[in-house]
Amino acid sequence: MEESQDGEEREDLAASFRQSRKEFRFMLVTWVVFAAWTLTYNGLFAKGSDEQPVEIVLGMPKWVVFGVAIPWAIALALTVWFALFYMKDTDLGEPADENGGGEA
Amino acid sequence: MALVSFGIYLAFVFLLAILANRVGKSKSFVSEYFLGSKSIGLWAFALTYAATAASGGSFMGFPSLIYTHGWVVAWWIAGYMVVPIIALGLLAKRLNQVGRIAGAITVPELLRRRFESRMVGNLATAVVIFFMFFYLMAQFKAGAEIMATLLDGVPVYQEFVIAVESVTTGLPLIGEAKADYLLCLIVFAVSVIVYTTFGGFRAVVWTDVMQGIVMGIGVVVMLVLVLQQVGGLRNATKQLDEMTPPKFVKVVLSASPGASEEIRLPRGAWVFVEGGDDVVRLDSAAVIQNSGEKNEAIEALLITTPSAKERARKKVGEDVPVVAAIQGEPEGYAYGDGKKGVYVHAPGPDRKSSSGFLGVMLALSFFAFWNFSGAGQPSYMVRQMAFRDTPTLRRSIVMVAFYFSLIYFPLVIIFTCARILLPGMEIHSDRVMPEMAAVLTENAGVPWLAGLLVAAPFAAVMSSVDSFLLLVSSGVVRDIYQESINPNASEKQIKRLTYIVTVTVGVLGVIAVIYPVKFLQDLIVFASGGLGGCFLMPMIFTLFWPRTTAKGVAAGIVSGGVTLLVLYLIGFFQTGSFKEYRLLNLHPFVWSVVVSTIAIFFVSRITPRIPEALKERYFGKL
Repeated sequence: MEESQDGEEREDLAASFRQSRKEFRFMLVTWVVFAAWTLTYNGLFAKGSDEQPVEIVLGMPKWVVFGVAIPWAIALALTVWFALFYMKDTDLGEPADENGGGEA
Repeated sequence: MALVSFGIYLAFVFLLAILANRVGKSKSFVSEYFLGSKSIGLWAFALTYAATAASGGSFMGFPSLIYTHGWVVAWWIAGYMVVPIIALGLLAKRLNQVGRIAGAITVPELLRRRFESRMVGNLATAVVIFFMFFYLMAQFKAGAEIMATLLDGVPVYQEFVIAVESVTTGLPLIGEAKADYLLCLIVFAVSVIVYTTFGGFRAVVWTDVMQGIVMGIGVVVMLVLVLQQVGGLRNATKQLDEMTPPKFVKVVLSASPGASEEIRLPRGAWVFVEGGDDVVRLDSAAVIQNSGEKNEAIEALLITTPSAKERARKKVGEDVPVVAAIQGEPEGYAYGDGKKGVYVHAPGPDRKSSSGFLGVMLALSFFAFWNFSGAGQPSYMVRQMAFRDTPTLRRSIVMVAFYFSLIYFPLVIIFTCARILLPGMEIHSDRVMPEMAAVLTENAGVPWLAGLLVAAPFAAVMSSVDSFLLLVSSGVVRDIYQESINPNASEKQIKRLTYIVTVTVGVLGVIAVIYPVKFLQDLIVFASGGLGGCFLMPMIFTLFWPRTTAKGVAAGIVSGGVTLLVLYLIGFFQTGSFKEYRLLNLHPFVWSVVVSTIAIFFVSRITPRIPEALKERYFGKL
């Protein structure tokens, strides 16, 4: 009986590990997408022109709006969605004692 | 008024420490003192994380950068848009779970138990203590400087400064230190050491919550006031577009006929330039002898933008009978000199670099740095080991995301506008935050509010120092003493040793900055880059790759740290100052992560696998 209980716990642990790994990959892709957006857009448009006055949108330089503020707002929305709907709850186990005893 | 605000603030901090001490009394000392019994809830977890992340740099160095380089700093900080999801989400769930299975209280302990390797644990402890001490030094200095700015001009404080000066002059070790700085350093350090020692992790977390709230309110209030006073953001950006960087000059001051024999001007005083409508701001205090002899030349800042000049002219004291004569050629910025539009476009003006402040490769470095260096900090990892359950984590990510958006983007708006309201801050741009607080509240007719606004950066520094203090003391007590010297130590012995170590580490930190280090922000970036470079990849592999071995992790820690140190050493030999060498224009942190990754992967591959039972314990039946 104890053995099967232990086996179940190991299965649960493996499942939660796989879920954490999936979330880990999602987060890395998120970083790549937003890094690419800000670096590409700002690399192309943030430099501006010496002759022309700055283009202003919502009180800010246009490149700040499209290269920082809008991706920031989308990243915020994505973070909320990720944390509330995509990320799964996991039983983390009991806080272990200080001598190393603990179970997942 | 500022003194009263500060007094109330400190009283609250101590009250929270006393409450935390009472709550923790019934629980196991070590787990409670260093990790709050792993029971930190939503608000506490989110705000302690955010407040620790927003250190003194966020309210001193960051505003200074925005003021100096303009809107391009929005790009520099853009990585923060995904910091909550990366720095908090990437490792937290697994870290907490593995920490519980291992029964670990600290990061080195987690590594030691995960691999059953004392070597890895000791190595990690040494690295944490080494880099954390640099961090602690920088934060102690920042705390003392903010406090000195906050209390400047308060009569009671001035009396104390004079008293301290009379006592310390001629004493060994502290005799040459500046009295005002020394007084603030001691008061600041004693406050933090006392409440950290007394209340432990729970007190640190509770005070972080309060400090996080103070920071949030401070930023929102400043944003509203600044937008009112510059006539809206559009107007401010238009004015910035017309601005050109100032020039650095040497001036000789002379008194008008009929003035008193000796005139003293403080650092930052404004003076007209003779024979024109120019004004300069003095970079150091000056004593002008009206004896007919030529005074010594001193450094000053020459304002070049007409609108800023107009504002600066109003600041020249009417009763200051002094004019300045410019000596030699004014020195302009290496990038942006005489060029309009540099404050609203990339790469932003730069005094030293002819390619400007921020290029694409450096922007990429910082986009990586903010996220992955954050994820790799042991001080954040410890917090991620302390939350109660995964719903707490998920909601905290949302809270931190809103909180960082509320802090960082508004700070960019506030301090780009600061250039319009406060010309000439380049002479001591680190003080732009408290100066802005004073100017904004004075203009709005609510000077009492300045105390609250200035409490924000102070809170930021305090909330970082307490965490670092705890981390270093946990390294010594838990990872060295309890693990290697006396595994059977009683709770009473541990408790006594913990108090002694926390106080000793704090005192050593103070002694190290009695004569303040010069490169505050560089020191912070060095320490956080070092910790991130040493721990990020080893921890990712530890949590997510079952094939990782103890030797692989050790190789990752060593190679990450050595790569960073070597690139800093090359930078030091090249420039003669504490500056990093940027290979391919990438920050050393990026290289240390790359080298660390390669080292862990290959060393783990060529060393024997960990026992199957150990693997199953942490990964289950895969």
